[in-house]
Order: sequence, then structure tokens, then C-alpha cells
Amino acid sequence: MTYVRSYARHVTGEVVLRTNGLVKRFGSITAVNGLDLEVRRGEVVGLLGPNGAGKSTTIGMVLGLIAPTAGSAEVLGRDVRVRREEALAGVGAMLEVTSFYPYLSGRDNLTGVALLRGGGALARVDPLLARLGLAQRGGSKFRTYSLGMRQRLGIASTLLSDPALVILDEPANGLDPAGQREIRELIRELAGENRGVLLASHLLHEVEQVCDRVLVIKKGKLIASGTIAEITRGGGSYFEIVVGDQTRAAQILRGLGVKEIRETPTGLDVVADPARGAELNRALASAGLYASAIVPRASSLEDVFMELTEPESPSASPAS
Amino acid sequence: MVRRWMPWIMLGLIVLTAFLLYFLIWASVNAQLQAVKNGTIPAPAGGTAQLEQTLRMIAPDRVAQFGVGLVSGLGSVMLIVFAASHVGTEFGWGTFRTLLAHGASRTGFLVAKAASLLLYAFVFIVVGTLAAIGASYAVSAVAGISVGSGVDVAEVTRAAVKAGYIFLPYMALALAIAVWSKSAGAGIAAGLVVYFAEGIVATLLVSLNKDYAEIVNWGLSRSVSAVTRAGSSAAVPDPTASTLPDPTRAAIVLAVYCVIFFVLAYWRLRSRDVTVGG
Repeated sequence: MTYVRSYARHVTGEVVLRTNGLVKRFGSITAVNGLDLEVRRGEVVGLLGPNGAGKSTTIGMVLGLIAPTAGSAEVLGRDVRVRREEALAGVGAMLEVTSFYPYLSGRDNLTGVALLRGGGALARVDPLLARLGLAQRGGSKFRTYSLGMRQRLGIASTLLSDPALVILDEPANGLDPAGQREIRELIRELAGENRGVLLASHLLHEVEQVCDRVLVIKKGKLIASGTIAEITRGGGSYFEIVVGDQTRAAQILRGLGVKEIRETPTGLDVVADPARGAELNRALASAGLYASAIVPRASSLEDVFMELTEPESPSASPAS
Repeated sequence: MVRRWMPWIMLGLIVLTAFLLYFLIWASVNAQLQAVKNGTIPAPAGGTAQLEQTLRMIAPDRVAQFGVGLVSGLGSVMLIVFAASHVGTEFGWGTFRTLLAHGASRTGFLVAKAASLLLYAFVFIVVGTLAAIGASYAVSAVAGISVGSGVDVAEVTRAAVKAGYIFLPYMALALAIAVWSKSAGAGIAAGLVVYFAEGIVATLLVSLNKDYAEIVNWGLSRSVSAVTRAGSSAAVPDPTASTLPDPTRAAIVLAVYCVIFFVLAYWRLRSRDVTVGG
């Protein structure tokens, strides 16, 4: 199964989730601080942030599990605080820790959720077990499931109500690489079925491959948003230079007007116009420093994420 | 169909315990009587009348006092454990969070829990009472005790209804503590401490000074005693029985406690943020 990155044709533009100035304070700690976000049908939106950034609290408020201190969350135009049950009828959510009744089988757990959901949910139990690769183990008790199987069951439960919005909090936790790939494909399929998907994940590689838009939050505040291309373009391009005497090399490059230089274990990362590669190489060679490699690199989502979310006091030591 | 083992184990335990206790009482008292007759042990001061009276407790016509009393005493403890576990495990397993995330309402959750607890308490008292009746007939037959007029169905039913009623405040207390603490263990511990300690403290206080009855009669244990003893002879004599509250007032006090505990649980559940920790 392959997924297609040209998914724009699915996006119809209807907003399935909107938060307006969402705030949550736990005592003196502000976990979420005035968060505005939107998810539309047919798109996958990545919610990124370091541990404690407020991702799960945001999801909790969207699902009515946590009462916002201020602001609101609307699903399909329905305020979750005012019309919670009605709003959640259009949402399938998988929380960070997948929890089901341990003494029931996977199938019985799904059946229980289906009964709660009503509608045609019961008829979707077995097809969803098959879709998530759990048909063989559907009759086994939940407590015997591996972490990966629990995650799959959690994802299956999100689809019982044929939701317009799917919220997945770390869905690839505990999955092997093949399983992670299947989940990525499934997420793209969900968007292809004209559902909006909000994906909170630590796996930046996963987010980069599957998301149309990314929201980066830090200390509960939205600090960056846009498509992957927009976000990574902001990070710029750089050269990875493999060279022996890093201190001297850095001095030479600073003499050329290069301002951003960072030491790496094998050499230097140098932020400069991609067209200046030959110039940098010549300057180093003229000084008797022969670089083993000068590789132009574009910032990855991971680079940008690290840059955006690094602590205020820089942990990396810049080359002097 | 209830898939958990716990409710079935508890029903099995009350049936087993009823038969076992009836048998043990007969075996023990009968052994003492035989020993007195054989001269192995000296006869008690008042003769063997007291022992024979105890043996009469086994007879089917005494099920309302002895058998239902036995089910009531054991049942209170078992149902405190069950009520706390029935709610507390939902927090421990994280299933409360899962249910909410799938659109369940908090009110619906608590009402469903309370309704299933009421249903289970009803089933428990019915099964326990039937087990006590069965044990009474079985052991009477083995012991050669006259069944007399047999079981007084109306009296046993009244006793069973009262026994079921006195379960409720303790179950509501265990439920409320489990909701507040998000823990089955805390609900069980608090429920059992109140069940045992309050009764002991109340009896001690009234024994020291009967005026204290005015205070402790607003508690659970004295109200439970008053309801239990209303219109029936007690299986076990209580020296402080004369200071017990009016049974009607006691029944109302128990009902008010049930409401208070349930409202406290409801209020906490409604306002609680449900995070990964529960």
C-alpha cells in the first residue's frame, strides 16, 4: 500500500475543529496559553512540542476531559463545553495511554465502545479489527495485548463512529517500523476519506511524512505553524563541513562574513548561502585546511523543531 | 452477562460462608453438648439450655434473625469492597478517561455505576438469603433439629429488605471515596474503617454515658442497628439497645447519608479534570 503526498484534492475546507484562545492553568502553571488552532476536513495537522508543552492538555480540552480556564473548543461548530456529547459524536480520539478493560477481549472492548456510540458502530467492529490487523487476536483478552496491539485497538476505536475528526495522541508508540509505516498510511487514508486528523507525535520523521500542516507549541503557546515546507524554509539551509581543526576553520569562515557557525563532532555546521560552497572550500584550502566533505543541507523539521523549542539558555556551544 | 470474576466470587463466597457457618455452629455446639453429656467437660452454670438455645438458631424458623443477620454482616463488608472496586478500577485502568473520550457523559457514568451497584446489592441479598435458608434446612436435617413451622417468608423478606437497605449508605460512602481519591483501595479502606470503627466508638461512648446517644444516633452504625432491630428480636443482645434512635428517623438518616455521599461523588466527578493520571 502506498500513500500519495499530493492530497490537496481532498481538502474541502470545512473546519472540523477550531479552538479560540484556549487557556488552561493548573494553579500557578499555565499549561496552555491562548491557543488558536484549526483542523479542516481532508488534512492532517501535526501538533508538535516538547514534553510538557501542552499537547495532551490541549487534546483533553478539545475532548471535554479538562475544563479550559478560558477560551473554547468547537467541533463541527459545536462548543465542547456546552454541547459535549453532541460535539464528540463527530470525533474519534485515541489518547496517549490506550486504556481498555483488561478482562475483556479486544472485540468486546470495541463492542462496548460501539454500543456507547450507537448508530452503525456495531457493524464496524469486525471490519475495523481486520483493518488494523487484529482480526486474529480480536478474541484475546486486552491484558494479553502487546503495546503495539493496544495502540492498534485504540486507533480502531477512534473509527467506530465514522468520525469527521480523528485525534491521535502518539499513535505510533510501541509500534515497530513496519507498524509505524502502516499507521502513517492509515492516517493518510483517513485524510483521503475527507476526515480531519489532529496528530500529536514526538516522531518528527512521522509528522514530516504524513502531515499537511504543523503546529509547534512551547509552554502552551503556539510558536510556529504552517506547511512542512513553510516551516522548514524558515530554518534555512546550511553546509555540513567535515574538517579537522574546527576552531581555526571557524575563524577563517568568520573572516568571510559567515555569522552562524556551530561545532559538531566531525566539523562545523555553517549557515550560508548555498551558492557560497566553492568560496568556503577555497578559503579553507588556502589556509591549509582541507575539508573531507562540504555538504549542502536543508533544515529538516527536526532541525527547526529543535531550534524553536530549545531552552532559553543555549545548550550547544557556538564555535568562537 | 457480567464478565468480571469479582461479582461471581462474592456471590459464591456468601453461599459457601452461609453453609459453612451454619455447619460450624452446629458442629461446635453439638460437640459441647455431647461433651457435657459424657462428663468430659463440666456443665455450664445455667445448664445446657443456653447451648440448646444457640442450636435452635439453626432452625429454619430463625432464618430472619440469624441467617439474614449473617448475610447482612458479611454483606456489608463485601459490598463496601465491591462498590469501591466497581468505581475505583475505572480510574486505575484509565477506562473512565477512555469512555469520556468516546462521548460518554459523566452523569451517565455515575448513574450507571450506582444503578448497577443497586442491582448487585439486590441480587446479593436474594442469593445470600436463599443460601441461608438452604443452609438452615440442610444442617437442620443433618442435625435432626425440628424445622418447626419452617421459614416465615414474610418475616424473612422484611429482614432481607432491611439488610439490603443498610448496605446502601456504606456502598455510597465507598463509591464517594473511590471517586474522590480515584482509587479502589482508598474507597475500601475508608468504607471498612467507618463500618467497624464508628460502631465501636459509638457503642463505647453510649456505654460510658447514655447522653452521648443523642450525638452518635445521627451516625451510620446506630441508625443501622435501629433499622435492623425494628420489629424483630435481635439475634445478638445489645446492652445499649434502649438508647437506639426511632427506626423511622434512623431510616431517614440513612437515606440522607446515601444522598449526601452520592451528591459529593457527583459533584467531584462533574468538576474533575481527567488527565492521563486518571
